Amino acid sequence: MSMLPMSIDGPTAIRAAGVSKRYAKRTALDRFDLAVPDGSIYLLAGPNGAGKSTAIRHMLHLEEPDAGTITVLGHDVRRDAVRARAEIGYISDGEVTPYGWLRVGALVAHHAQYFPTWDAQYASRLIAELDIDLAPRVRALSRGEARRIAFVLALAHRPALLLLDEPTDGLDPVVRERVLHLLAEHASEAPTTMLVSTHLVHEVERLADHVGIIKKGRLIGQMPRDYLRGTLNRYRFDAPDSWRVPEQAPVVVVERVAAGRENEWTMWGEPGVIRAMFDAGETELRSVTPLTLADAVVALLSMEDAA
Amino acid sequence: MALLAIDVTDSRPIYVQIVDEVRRAVVVGALKPGEPIPSVRQLAGDLGVNPNTVKQAYQELERLGVTYVERGNGTYVAGGRALREDRASLAVGVAERALRDATRNGLAVEELIDALERVAKRNARGRKP
Repeated sequence: MSMLPMSIDGPTAIRAAGVSKRYAKRTALDRFDLAVPDGSIYLLAGPNGAGKSTAIRHMLHLEEPDAGTITVLGHDVRRDAVRARAEIGYISDGEVTPYGWLRVGALVAHHAQYFPTWDAQYASRLIAELDIDLAPRVRALSRGEARRIAFVLALAHRPALLLLDEPTDGLDPVVRERVLHLLAEHASEAPTTMLVSTHLVHEVERLADHVGIIKKGRLIGQMPRDYLRGTLNRYRFDAPDSWRVPEQAPVVVVERVAAGRENEWTMWGEPGVIRAMFDAGETELRSVTPLTLADAVVALLSMEDAA
Repeated sequence: MALLAIDVTDSRPIYVQIVDEVRRAVVVGALKPGEPIPSVRQLAGDLGVNPNTVKQAYQELERLGVTYVERGNGTYVAGGRALREDRASLAVGVAERALRDATRNGLAVEELIDALERVAKRNARGRKP
């Protein structure tokens, strides 16, 4: 049983409940739950092979689950996948299109026809900002070039929901930065919910306002970024070797680093409770520092290992 | 745009950093009373920050009286009393950060104040020919 919070309040753009999927002998999703609040930028984080891409493919109903339900923008995706997909922009970790013989310009025009909400002006702006050449054939593109085009195809119809699976994969550092800024701009121009899966957590540090942790096909916790920031901290303090967290204290010690009397512990718990714990003992608390999102994800995963 | 700088390793949440940076820009005169501050879209795009974070910061700035909103027209820098009060609270913020750093290094308040005075005196001397 997970010790991390799971419940998310308010209206959601995506809700998955008890989704399971097995491929032959491998369990890809194991009673997977997810609640992505309306208008949030939600980071789905986890180790390689944890099921991030599989979970996202289920939200588009590109995979048939063995059990469980998924609601996306009010549509039950099992019954209403087509309508749900029309309101979703998707960047997959796979190829951009099966039509490799098309030229880039023709691919964009072809894609636009499927979306009544296609914003041609915005598409042109994205093509310019991402420095995209419309002339070459799609099959001749590098991974990074294909990824930039995928951004235009996903964003230009201004979908209510963006599913971004490793969105910056294959991009050089300059384009990566530009893409992250474009996403921030995009979200401020129209109300958009974004689900981002990435192993480069530091890239979405400034963007994500919610985080969910997936491990072995299971969501082990999800919470607002602000809650995480308040609850997981690094405490630097002086204490004798023998000092321990009192038993029964609602506190989890995630990591201990010590040099003589000086300690730096990463702890999960109410900061008020933890401060009171220090006030009571023969200890002196020197500083409390929140973790970066990337460090927090690593800490949450290691907490779960210990449990 | 180098007007605002955000550091994700800073212990302050990003919205607080935006609030502090705008206040700093006003106090040092980079943003003048009556001037508009960047739109949410522009600042979110420039900093690559979640627009809700920028909105949260802007609400806080308005609440503090640092800025005011003209409906449908944008957000502007306020002047007068709020600005003068802000110099004082800016100083408090700087003092708090310095004190935290001192405590982390095992220094007492007196040692920090003493060092501040000595450094200030030395720098003042250094400026004269």
